[in-house]
Amino acid sequence: MSNATRTSKWSWLFLGFGFFFLYAPMLSLIVYSFNENRLVTVWSGFSTKWYGALMQDDQMLAAAWVSLRIAFYTACASVVLGTMAAMVMTRMRGFRGKTLFSGMITAPLVMPEVITGLSLLLLFVSLSTWTGLDFARGMTTIWVAHVTLCMAFVTVVISSRLAELDRSLEEAAMDLGANRVKVFFLITLPIISPALMSGWLLAFTLSLDDLVLASFVSGPSSTTLPMQVFSSARMGVSPKINALATILIVGVSTIGVIGWYFMERAERRRQAEMQAAAKQ
Amino acid sequence: MTSAITSTPIPAATPGGKPDKRGVDDYLVIDTVRKEFDGFVAVDDVSINIRKGEIFALLGASGCGKSTLLRCLAGFEKPTAGRIVLAGADVTDLPPYLRPINMMFQSYALFPHLTVEQNIAFGLKQDGMAKEPCQRRVDEMLNLVQMSKFAKRKPHQLSGGQQQRVALARSLAKSPKLLLLDEPMGALDKKLRSQMQLELVNIIETLGVTCVMVTHDQEEAMTMANRIAVMEAGRFRQIGSPDEIYEQPNSRYTAEFIGSVNLFEGKIDKDEKDFVTIACPTLPDPIYVAHGVTGFTGMDVAFALRPEKMQISKTEPAEPHNKAHGIIEDIAYFGDHSVYHIRLDRGTKVMCNFVNQQRWASEGFTWNDPVWISWGDLEGVVLTS
Amino acid sequence: MPYFWLLLFFAVPFLIALKISFAKAAIAMPPYTDVLYWVDGFPVVKLRGENYLYLLGDSLYINAYLSSLKIAVVSTFLCLLLGYPMAYSISRMAPATRNIALLLVILPSWTSFLIRIYAWVGILKPNGLINNYLMYLGLIDSPLKMLHTPIAVYIGIVYAYLPFMVLPLYTNLVKHDHRLLEAASDLGAKPWQAFLKVTLPLSKAGIIAGCMLVAIPAVGEFVIPEMLGGPETLMIGRVLWQEFFNNRDWPVASAVAMVMLALLIIPIMIFHRAQAKEMEGKLT
Repeated sequence: MSNATRTSKWSWLFLGFGFFFLYAPMLSLIVYSFNENRLVTVWSGFSTKWYGALMQDDQMLAAAWVSLRIAFYTACASVVLGTMAAMVMTRMRGFRGKTLFSGMITAPLVMPEVITGLSLLLLFVSLSTWTGLDFARGMTTIWVAHVTLCMAFVTVVISSRLAELDRSLEEAAMDLGANRVKVFFLITLPIISPALMSGWLLAFTLSLDDLVLASFVSGPSSTTLPMQVFSSARMGVSPKINALATILIVGVSTIGVIGWYFMERAERRRQAEMQAAAKQ
Repeated sequence: MTSAITSTPIPAATPGGKPDKRGVDDYLVIDTVRKEFDGFVAVDDVSINIRKGEIFALLGASGCGKSTLLRCLAGFEKPTAGRIVLAGADVTDLPPYLRPINMMFQSYALFPHLTVEQNIAFGLKQDGMAKEPCQRRVDEMLNLVQMSKFAKRKPHQLSGGQQQRVALARSLAKSPKLLLLDEPMGALDKKLRSQMQLELVNIIETLGVTCVMVTHDQEEAMTMANRIAVMEAGRFRQIGSPDEIYEQPNSRYTAEFIGSVNLFEGKIDKDEKDFVTIACPTLPDPIYVAHGVTGFTGMDVAFALRPEKMQISKTEPAEPHNKAHGIIEDIAYFGDHSVYHIRLDRGTKVMCNFVNQQRWASEGFTWNDPVWISWGDLEGVVLTS
Repeated sequence: MPYFWLLLFFAVPFLIALKISFAKAAIAMPPYTDVLYWVDGFPVVKLRGENYLYLLGDSLYINAYLSSLKIAVVSTFLCLLLGYPMAYSISRMAPATRNIALLLVILPSWTSFLIRIYAWVGILKPNGLINNYLMYLGLIDSPLKMLHTPIAVYIGIVYAYLPFMVLPLYTNLVKHDHRLLEAASDLGAKPWQAFLKVTLPLSKAGIIAGCMLVAIPAVGEFVIPEMLGGPETLMIGRVLWQEFFNNRDWPVASAVAMVMLALLIIPIMIFHRAQAKEMEGKLT
């Protein structure tokens, strides 16, 4: 035990530093969003006026609405495609092109976004010239770009859950008379539903957050929230962005903490019930 | 008496109303089934007929092909060659969900997101059974396995033994023509095991369902099964009732795999109609066996003798043969009996069981005691393979 | 279906980008010449290597690649230095606290990347938090220049990518059997020896995954150098962006991307193999 306590002193030091490093900038954003002064870092009194100003900013609100819609559709499509991809990855052994397929799934995870963005834009442009159809750049192209990126993340989340799933559960269902489609919808899907949920949320936040891909493939009419924030941040620090940041940080944290709390509670109850059952 | 002859065997009626053309003895026919994985032969042309109502155990070490054969029966693996015929119907090409066969899985595979009731009803619902008869059947099954109290619970709220009962109820709910058990006691601790073994057999025999089980535990196979097939390297080494397998092993492999045995290698010395003698270099005198064998003089054989078939004594037995002298090298005490490891004068070691009938044994054998071992003329088995 | 999606929107675009990198810039829409001509019904491919020669000829590009690599490697190392002790400490905690700590690591990566980088602008700028505080303490008289320096870029990358380092390390470290360390100390190893000889080698897979997850995207990073770096902070992602959006030279931008991809293909393959191994480990 002496070993454990000695390391824990160092542990707390490192963790303390790490978490300070991670959270201090975000806290400073939140604190200064309530600053009355126009100069963000000079404190001159508490005020919520920047939130009011944010609500008046039509451009910002429009961009937020565009982003939310794209994020929602992206998350839905990514979960559907990601689940299919994960099923293929974990359930099918050795088909032609599997190496290419699995490579294409992991590559977007790390591929610099500028490369992906540029390539996708060139694709859309080429498609327009080849087919003669007008692939107008806008929400749809952003959606396609985001799905390509997010699907990779969702696939990783879901396939790691599928890999852990006891195969005999699916076999048992099949043994009891359910065909493959029924097995998937009655057994596999309900059991992996927490992974689907976290995959959906992950895709949603990734899409909401993306600047680079959207900048490449967006058209004049579709400005996303990060693009709007980026262009105004380039002009200089503005208290309005602090207010927006606070809303985003608080919103995401609340959802995250609530989700975590419910999962934690369910897991703890499950553990307790299992112990109680073993004692019978 | 003619009526008696015509009435046996009773033709079993299939749900379709057609009388079963097949006899009771070949209810399940496994006909030269072969399964290869990338050139590796897991099941090597295995054939067996299984009787209606029989509990048949596939016994073998891990990797012997028993699980693959079971999965072929369930339909999770498609045999490379051979046919599987159940109650007169060829099921070889049917997918698992169309076979009248249900399985109790090794780790039970209870659906974690469904209650006990819903688990048992799952198979019935797949058949499109109406709500009411379905509920009745579920209640009936819950009663059968004495789990009615736990109907609304989720699997993780049950102990291991309870989970097993639910798994059994679920696999029996559809009244399968064949029940498969995959290592049925594998997930239970030792004490619960012997209790559940008998309970499981009782339920299966009450319902009269035909059952094929897979196990690596010989004790489990012996207690539960009517017949056992010992498998090795994808083939059956021996098929027989538990006592046949134990008392009349047909090969060195089964003799050594089931229980413990002393093997004496030798050659047939005298081959008469009603007795043979076997000359063993490890024993001073030839072994005398009081029955004939199919063999010839000079043939290489092994003489298998179970440790509990031997007597141990301090003085030389009066019989003219089947005895040897040695020294006690090790004693393993098991409470009910002890196993003496005796080094014979010619150097081989043998094991000899001694039942501890009296609390304070009058013949207190101890380490390094010189002793005699002896056995009856009919106690051993001559193995030619 | 996901296969075709990826093929269409991930693999094919690279081929197109590859093709265009061999074209010549033109004032047209789309702003490049065609590589494929039809001459008397026969396709003629005219590949122009001039974009690549141009990249080679201008020291700007070579320097940008080198400095991108340097920045990525150094910040990955810093991430590892900070992330490993964090992951290790978290993996040694009691399960309840462990989950909270893990949540605290993940939470920032859910909130907007852009906004978190933006936060550093406010902290590092001449009249930002740090300078104000230091001047308030009287330690310095005039503001330090921190924003628009390479240091700011390093801070930004480490800050943004720290969770991606901690997570794979944690997943690896938490699986370690504590008894291995006990066995090591039972056999006479001091704690730091046990760490070096047992824990560190066993966590190799986690280290590789974490480093790749940080280093590869960091090479192509655009937002961080743009917002925190100065004009002299050359990073290739930024060069590509300028080439594309400011100079509207699509072929050169494509060539820049292709060279970057060529540089990164080996790390990406290493990452892919580590990822595949992890998957297989779970399947068996």
